[in-house]
Amino acid sequence: MEKVGITGMGVISAVGLGLEAFSQALHSGRHAFGTLENYPDTLSVRLGAVLDSFSLKSWLPQQETICEDLRKKAKKAASRSPLSVQAATGAALEAWTHAGLIDSPIDPQRLGIVVAGNNLTKHVHYSMAPKFQNDPSYVPGRYALQFLDTDHVGTLSEILEIRGEGFTAGGASASGNVGIIKALQMLQLGLADGCLVVGGLTHLSPVEVQGFSNAGAMGGKQFVDQPDQACRPFDKDHEGFIYGQASACLFLETQSSARRRGRAFLGELAAGVMLLDGHRLTEPNVEGETRVMKTALLRAGIQPEQVDYLNTHGSSSPLGDATEMQAIRNIWPQKTPWINATKGITGHCLCAAGVVEAVATLLQMQQGFLHPNLNLVHPIDTTARFVPEKAINGEINVAVSNSFGFGGINTSIVLKRAN
Amino acid sequence: MSSDEIFGLVKEKILEILDELPESAVTREKSLRDLGANSIDRVDVITESMEDLEISIPIKSFADLKNIGELVDLLHRTKVGGTA
Repeated sequence: MEKVGITGMGVISAVGLGLEAFSQALHSGRHAFGTLENYPDTLSVRLGAVLDSFSLKSWLPQQETICEDLRKKAKKAASRSPLSVQAATGAALEAWTHAGLIDSPIDPQRLGIVVAGNNLTKHVHYSMAPKFQNDPSYVPGRYALQFLDTDHVGTLSEILEIRGEGFTAGGASASGNVGIIKALQMLQLGLADGCLVVGGLTHLSPVEVQGFSNAGAMGGKQFVDQPDQACRPFDKDHEGFIYGQASACLFLETQSSARRRGRAFLGELAAGVMLLDGHRLTEPNVEGETRVMKTALLRAGIQPEQVDYLNTHGSSSPLGDATEMQAIRNIWPQKTPWINATKGITGHCLCAAGVVEAVATLLQMQQGFLHPNLNLVHPIDTTARFVPEKAINGEINVAVSNSFGFGGINTSIVLKRAN
Repeated sequence: MSSDEIFGLVKEKILEILDELPESAVTREKSLRDLGANSIDRVDVITESMEDLEISIPIKSFADLKNIGELVDLLHRTKVGGTA
């Protein structure tokens, strides 16, 4: 099968708009946790790292590296779109530019797009309820487009002139990796030469925030008044995930297409695997998580000891972290790879998480560092090689990135440094 | 509320929805279609104007209107008269 790699990436995150700012946040451990000021104070938990002030219309004019024609099209198509679509557009434009697709394009019919995530615009649904209750005729016509996640697909395909396959792919908190895996398969099947993978910003309404909280999945219990302390993956005091907002993009491309265009891989996507536990609940499963990492390594032709770095799912959930740690120990009983949790910095970006973390992995691989584990004071495993609370230098040749979702959805991808 | 005030409100909605349209392009004689509004944009100008004016008119009543002037007249008649 032909090799597939990443030739472009982009990110619009609460910790940084664009790759440069995001990478600086990873280096320094600069987080954006605070109180969710735009959510009602009746919520049990109001902590998170959100992008409330992001507006595509004001962001676009400053992006001089992005060609003007694309910026114009983006402004026309998406400046009144939901926050999720605006953020996805920003990340996609950055990835498109990064991949050099303006100067050396690919036939539009050989381009695909996968938007990772379901239920991305819940906040839009929520904001329609008062309009509807006031008078059903006040519901705007655009809602018929905007309540659908595929609004992302339509909008981005219009701006970027993508004419091959396009769809949304969901897997709860594993959606990002599901999208990457589906794009990889699309390219391996020869259905396209390049595919944009968009990790969708999951814009929760207050109802979903409370739902997660009532289900016991959200943190912010003893740390309810300390937003900077609440997210602590793999620390003994972890108490649930903290919500984060981001959209991230990868441009995946076949090796022959990249060669034809004279572009180097930023990293090779050596394998991506998705496996189910066969249940519908919130509980993670050691066997499933072990199996998915093992299968991904096998498919990539990599021995466990060759893995330098593991970007964990690490959501700061006590059960989730403990389960993942056991699965890690099943594969690396002695010396583990270097381990960190990007969610400790970005918060849990839900559907986008897998793509955000793939971007984080590739940035660390390229720049030779390992980002800190924030708030990791008392690790639940004292001998695993956790990156400390400050970034360290480190060469990554082979990395694994995990994402697990409710409903027993397990995913792992393997990224290799490009030769 | 005067017809001119309602025209002002409708114009504001049009300029917000149809980005980069010069203000002078919006006249009572022009239709929303003339200005480049697609079917969704046209509905949004109507629903948002109705919401601001706190009036309710069935969307189908707007189907035969020829231009922005007629749209303003219908909104004005309803606002002042209380029914469509």
